Amino acid sequence: MDIFKIDDLSFRYPDAEEEALSHLAIQLKEGEFTVVCGPSGCGKSTLLRLLKKDLAPVGSCTGEISYAGKPIMDWDDRTMIEDIGFVFQDPENQIIMDDVMQEIVFGMENLGYSNMEMRKRVAELVHFFGMEELLHAKPSELSGGQKQLLNLLSVLLLKPKVLLLDEPTSQLDPVAAKDLIVMLDRLNKEMGITIILVEHRLEELFAIAEHVIMMDKGKVVYEGTSREVIYDIFQKNDQAFMQYVPSISQLYIQRTDTLEKSAIPLTVKECKQWLAAQPNHASTEANQAPIESTSNKEKPILSVQNVYFQYTKTTPFVLKNISLQVTKGEFFTIIGGNGSGKSTLLKACIGNLKPQRGRAYMGGKDTYKLKGKELYHKIAYLPQNPRTYFIQDTVEKEMQEVLKRQQLPDDTARMTEVLDIFGIQHIRNRHPYDCSGGEMQKAALACMLLGNPEILFIDEPTKGLDPMSKQNFAQILHQLHEAGLTIIMVTHDIEFAAKHAERCAMMFDGTITTEGTPDELLKGNYFYTTSINRATRASHVRESLTLEEALSEWPNPVHI
Amino acid sequence: MENGFRGYHPFVQFFYYICVGTLAFYFKHPIFLATACLLVVFVNLTHDYGKALRQWIPGLLVMSVFIIVLNPFLVSRGTNILFYFRGKQVTLEATMYGIVMALSIAIILIMFISFNLILNGNRFLYIFSRILPRTAFLMMLSIRFVPLLRRRLSEINAVQRIRGVSVTEGSIRARAKAGMLTTQILLTWSLEEAIQTADSMKARGYGIGKKTAYIPFRMEKRDWSWLLALALLFLICLAGGFLGYGKIIIYPELGTLQFYLLDWVLYGCMIILYSFPLIVEGREQLKWISLK
Repeated sequence: MDIFKIDDLSFRYPDAEEEALSHLAIQLKEGEFTVVCGPSGCGKSTLLRLLKKDLAPVGSCTGEISYAGKPIMDWDDRTMIEDIGFVFQDPENQIIMDDVMQEIVFGMENLGYSNMEMRKRVAELVHFFGMEELLHAKPSELSGGQKQLLNLLSVLLLKPKVLLLDEPTSQLDPVAAKDLIVMLDRLNKEMGITIILVEHRLEELFAIAEHVIMMDKGKVVYEGTSREVIYDIFQKNDQAFMQYVPSISQLYIQRTDTLEKSAIPLTVKECKQWLAAQPNHASTEANQAPIESTSNKEKPILSVQNVYFQYTKTTPFVLKNISLQVTKGEFFTIIGGNGSGKSTLLKACIGNLKPQRGRAYMGGKDTYKLKGKELYHKIAYLPQNPRTYFIQDTVEKEMQEVLKRQQLPDDTARMTEVLDIFGIQHIRNRHPYDCSGGEMQKAALACMLLGNPEILFIDEPTKGLDPMSKQNFAQILHQLHEAGLTIIMVTHDIEFAAKHAERCAMMFDGTITTEGTPDELLKGNYFYTTSINRATRASHVRESLTLEEALSEWPNPVHI
Repeated sequence: MENGFRGYHPFVQFFYYICVGTLAFYFKHPIFLATACLLVVFVNLTHDYGKALRQWIPGLLVMSVFIIVLNPFLVSRGTNILFYFRGKQVTLEATMYGIVMALSIAIILIMFISFNLILNGNRFLYIFSRILPRTAFLMMLSIRFVPLLRRRLSEINAVQRIRGVSVTEGSIRARAKAGMLTTQILLTWSLEEAIQTADSMKARGYGIGKKTAYIPFRMEKRDWSWLLALALLFLICLAGGFLGYGKIIIYPELGTLQFYLLDWVLYGCMIILYSFPLIVEGREQLKWISLK
């Protein structure tokens, strides 16, 4: 039975020139795990919100959405709230109460459930989620992953038949994201809850999803099972959507001799099985390319020496005896899970924190003591949330403000030049908050680079970006790096780090545990590595870290 | 679940504090009050070994001395004159009245320190969501915003410092301007994020109908029995006080401090009532010792 039937649905936001959704016709079956993806602004979030009556955006809407055979407008509010649960993108903002227990019963209290019913449901589901320990904690003390599980739990207590999720993992590190997805898979398989998930990060999702919908500009571009969609994309050689295809499937499609739809590997396991059937090439050459000696004798531009840091006297140390050196022109990446202290380390590097012991020096000066001119001529810092950067109401005014503050001439040519580098000429007169996440990030970066800083610090740049924007952003970083800018990036996005970094350090429990090239550091790990590496490790082909590497290392096909 | 007095139902605890507060102003007998004061101090000691109380001791002492000294100098009613001060009579009655007042206020303050430790967070909300449901909900929301705003502000400061907008350096004018800018970012950003919070409330049915309250606490047998016992003791104290026991005549002439039979009964009832937390904690301690 179709749980949702969308018939010729079009939607237009007030004052918008183009339709956000145009003539959509989608059927969603009961108990299905559906994944909706597409670039930012393709209308996928709008679609998701239209499915939940209370959250439907304001605008002109034609066509019909029916839920269980009846138009959703004809259903009463109460049933709609109970039957359709919604989990939002940001884990923090959806939490309302200052107490975990109060938070999870919030929905049930609103709907006026009896005390017995509430107790019963809480007891059952809290146990299922294994959250007993957290019941008496404060939400602000939970990690991002725990918060998102809490949000999922509080929605599930209303016993919804459908779960709508709007990019729930975009703010989480890979381990926490995996936990959430596994939980969703369980809910779908064990309880039969229909799940409709909008997401960018798809590497693992293709294996779980039964129904994949890819959208662009308000229309459905590809639809079907995971394999059908991947096959179609490949057949059309659609480079834009190829980004969404898991790298292991891409490897198969590009290198297999006999392309079969049903044989497309979606998981590491399937990819390994396929690789095992390939002729053996692995041991023909020495695996290790000679590593060029990176022992640079140059004086480091940034040097962190034995830094210890704790937020308050009674809390444990967040940073423990950290030392690192970054030379001029390097692209240095620090990877690690949420809460490993990597963002704190970045703040210590730019001198926003005063370490208890040890110092961070930049060009021989303690960064904590840097002020005014010395600071903004040397350092640029792109925060996790670029919103914190903007003071003015248009991007252009923001740039003028930066020039004024740095006592540079009001140079329109320079501004145009920088905007062109980033390809964001079109948002010049827009309010920064009205731009998409990727555009806002670029706008902030453009403003920072006006003053030609020596070193750029970036905190989690890939959070919430779609694959296209991510690639775009990576290209910009490459350009800047080529031009001689030193870049220090903190990320939990392993694939991104593997592709772009020169040197990596892994952070764990407040210290840098290891340091080296992405190859040295990431190959052979279980979790902190790419899926390509997991598939190619100990296989018949050479162990590779990225898809590009795997493709170039692939032995030339022998035609018989 | 928590042990001892903390493990009881919030209603029982709340009723205990009501009794303590009422009786502190109801009885006007220095011996009664002195005993009560001593007991609430002991109660506080059982909560956290007097850590919270210790911060208040200097203030309490200064305040008590102030009242005791000031009252006889301001009020000259009474028969027994101790001495004259600048032509004004300082009477024994006024001094006694000062002592009684000081003790009453001290009991109330010490009681509130204990109240703060016991009925905090959830328990407080549980009690007040019955009396003032909207206010309680609003309070919960605001409490939630404190850590959120603080974290956002530190993030903004980190970014803006690199830009040269800082509240810790430069002239006062520049600092004030920087402060304004950071607050502006904080507000616009928070408002933007708050839309999501509002959506999340709507998605979970806020405002759709009559709200019920999840009751995380259950009235157990021991809660009922203590509630009854407290109520009974409280009534005896009130009735006794109504008949004039537990009080002394201060004005116009100080009466006797002597106890009559019913005074003794009242005194006993009051001690048991005030010692409710002590009895509970003591029993628990004994159980632990006997278990060893």
